[in-house]
Amino acid sequence: MMSPLATEELGKRFRRGWALRECTLTVPEQAIVGLAGPNGAGKSTLLELAVGMLAATEGSLSVLGRDPRRDPAALADVGYVPQGAPLYRSFSVAETLELARRTNARWDRELAHELLASLDSSRRVSALSAGERARLSLALAFGKRPALLLLDEPFAQLDPLAGRDFLRLLMDGVSETGSTVVIASHVVADIERVCDHIVLLSEGRVRLEGNVEELLASHLLLTGARRPLGTIRGVEEIVRERHSGRQSTLLVRTRGGVVDPTWSVDGIELEELLLAYMAPERLPRPVAPEPGRLRWHG
Amino acid sequence: MAWVTWRQHRLQAYAGAALLAALAVAALVTELPIRAAYHSDPLSACLPPSTRTGCDLIVAHFRGEFTARLDALRYLIVLPALVGLLVGAPLVAREYERGTHRLAWSQGVTRGRWLLTKTALLTAATALAGLALAGLATWWRQPFDNLDGRISPRAFDVEGIVVPAYAVAALAFGVLAGVALRRTLPAMSLAVGLFFAARLGVEKLLRPHYLAPAHRTVAGIGPTAPTRDWVLSNSLVDAAGRTISTAREDAAIVHAQHAGIDPQSYLATLGWHRAVTFQPAGRFWTFQAIEAGIFLVLAAAAVLLALRLVRRAPA
Repeated sequence: MMSPLATEELGKRFRRGWALRECTLTVPEQAIVGLAGPNGAGKSTLLELAVGMLAATEGSLSVLGRDPRRDPAALADVGYVPQGAPLYRSFSVAETLELARRTNARWDRELAHELLASLDSSRRVSALSAGERARLSLALAFGKRPALLLLDEPFAQLDPLAGRDFLRLLMDGVSETGSTVVIASHVVADIERVCDHIVLLSEGRVRLEGNVEELLASHLLLTGARRPLGTIRGVEEIVRERHSGRQSTLLVRTRGGVVDPTWSVDGIELEELLLAYMAPERLPRPVAPEPGRLRWHG
Repeated sequence: MAWVTWRQHRLQAYAGAALLAALAVAALVTELPIRAAYHSDPLSACLPPSTRTGCDLIVAHFRGEFTARLDALRYLIVLPALVGLLVGAPLVAREYERGTHRLAWSQGVTRGRWLLTKTALLTAATALAGLALAGLATWWRQPFDNLDGRISPRAFDVEGIVVPAYAVAALAFGVLAGVALRRTLPAMSLAVGLFFAARLGVEKLLRPHYLAPAHRTVAGIGPTAPTRDWVLSNSLVDAAGRTISTAREDAAIVHAQHAGIDPQSYLATLGWHRAVTFQPAGRFWTFQAIEAGIFLVLAAAAVLLALRLVRRAPA
């Protein structure tokens, strides 16, 4: 089967510089993908390229096997909730749904209404809360029964409770449509509960991509006495090293675990793993205090 | 898309209809005394334009009585520009400003079709409103048109098929400006600028030359009698056909005054006469068709350019 979203050396340059560069990734079918990364990492750019709002500067991109710029018909199967969930403020809820019904060849009224549940359809969009607007946007996107659903920072304006409701609604929708979902968010905590696949962008480049379980299984935290670092058995790469006093903490990538009794080995949380990959390649080693300049205070 | 267009522009449609209704009422109220005077005995005895002595005075009285209203009617020429300003410019610019273009253009309708459908429907509505406006103005001006003809700009600009063409062009300029600038206010300014530049440029530079103007010489040198044609120039020439400057004419008149002769007959004895260049009244519909065609072509070009920009532009 075609990957819902695949890119090959994809790059986008704006006047101010590259927003996305050498981005190669393949989103597996029916995955819930967390597109993580700090602000300005290129997340929105990637999504806008995927819905044909932007044209790529270099490389290629395929959405459901088609190029969204050359073949806009591909977008009929793509649901997109842009950043800030823009809606026509003067429209009522019912009119907003009517807009989607009239501008989409395939429209599942039942599903949209089911997802909106208790929302009074005569209310104006301008009178809705941020949570209700987000829900309406999501219902619009799901009403297309999209094969691929792209959400750009859906949690930005939601309080934690509304955020949780939104996720529940998202999972309800996915169970109905079987869509592949890409959620861009700079707050890892918002998406880690639902994602089974992670793409981490930083400064326009893909820093990490993979299945969440596999990533967590292949990364370990080693803690042990500070010493010159040679090769540690079982470690493929030291992702991050931190040294404090006489202790070192290493984040390492491994295959099959680490067998070295001088290190105590722990698992790592997704958020910490992503933060480690987001940060500059290597943190500077702390400089040893210069001797003879110690002073008493107090 | 028709429903979407209607939903987003119905307020403008209501406002436009209300404006037309208000104009119709105003036209009716102001026209009644004009018609009464027009059908009064002294004037109707002088129609169709008669050269009987005194008729020029009667006609002048009629015209003079309603000068203010005739001048007010001239303001109708700004109405087509309003369409570009209020309907055309915000069409895309406001979507960009509010981010809703991302909503509109990520549905099943491609943005090219989205823009084309909306523009086409609004163009149809605009053209209808323009025709209604022109019909109203034509009815209102009918007594004056019978006296003065319809081909000079006063009548030409507010009657016939050029009015809907102007409005459609203004709409298209507004759409293009909105697509290019993505901000409503700057787009409005650009749209109005484009419209009036096109409008003035065509009226002053092109319209007099749609067809080669006709010429006529008038014996006698006094002001010429009113005509139903569009007089482009009316100047004093000598027997050889060379134009005589006003300074030279004045010098000749002063010369006659000193000699104690009637200046008029003195100039006539020099063989001087008036040469009139004009577009005949009968060319009204030809000129209307040409001018409407020019503005429709401009409108089509603007829409095509806007379409190109929207398809290519990053959003």
